[in-house]
Amino acid sequence: MKNNNKIPEGNPFKVPENYFEELNSKIFASTIEIRDEKKKAGLYMRLRPFLAIAASVAVLAILTFTGEKLFSPRNEYVSLSEIPVEEYSETILNEIDLLTLEENAVLTGVSGLEPDIDKKDIIDYLLLENIDINEIQEHL
Amino acid sequence: MDQQKSDSDIFKLLESDTNKGFRLVVERYSTRLYWHIRRLVILHEDADDALQNTFVNAWRNISNFRSESSLYTWLYTIATNEALTLINKRTRNAAVSLDDLGSWFANSTEGSTWFDGDEAQVKLQNAIIRLPEKQRIVFNLKYYDDMTYEDMSKVLKTSVGALKASYHHAVKKIENMLSGI
Repeated sequence: MKNNNKIPEGNPFKVPENYFEELNSKIFASTIEIRDEKKKAGLYMRLRPFLAIAASVAVLAILTFTGEKLFSPRNEYVSLSEIPVEEYSETILNEIDLLTLEENAVLTGVSGLEPDIDKKDIIDYLLLENIDINEIQEHL
Repeated sequence: MDQQKSDSDIFKLLESDTNKGFRLVVERYSTRLYWHIRRLVILHEDADDALQNTFVNAWRNISNFRSESSLYTWLYTIATNEALTLINKRTRNAAVSLDDLGSWFANSTEGSTWFDGDEAQVKLQNAIIRLPEKQRIVFNLKYYDDMTYEDMSKVLKTSVGALKASYHHAVKKIENMLSGI
């Protein structure tokens, strides 16, 4: 409808000198930065799925290892009867049920290891311990 | 010339070499998009900003652009939105109502207004500024860019019939204002 006589023609707006000559270069320069960012991001975007899988496997491995450490039974468990008494630590001894100890002593046949003691040996022992034999005689 | 056909060379280049294709887009559209934006935002500095943003936006989304759409209307849509963003920003920050060239030029930080029009042109631009925002865009696209109503419909997401009516009313209003009615 430019042939409308009532509306004046022409363009009253002006631009700085050389504006359009430099315009295209300026626009392309402002888009090059974004293009470089896209290129860097491109490699990351391509590897992202694999990185995600690797991260998931690593987390699973850590959880499995930690879980085994926390919840699995102690492999170093050894039967009490196999451990010499001298090696029992105080902690273990505190935790040991005396009845269990007695049972283990019976199982290992400790009673069978009792030495054969003569009566004379007993009297000699008591004399060494300053125990009055007459006193014992009175009790018997 | 059918705009779609004339852009077919750009589509082919965009597919084979995006950088070269985009350079061609800039070369072909930068000047006309500048003037479209400038007529809306009035100030050269604002038009320059909005134009830069238009092409940055276009570059970011060029890989999503489908050749079945029109590059021409797609770019005009982006440019129009960038111009409107700037206008809204100016309107919010302005101390006075922006209903004539003077109030717009008062917001310029440049030494020059980059406006060199006679009294008739000043009257015309003031009349256009006073149109409702969308009607102003319709008038500019039709009167200055000679855009078809079909293409305008894609840019403004408005029916052809509504656009024809809007342009008709815009012309009447401007004529009345220039006649002093």
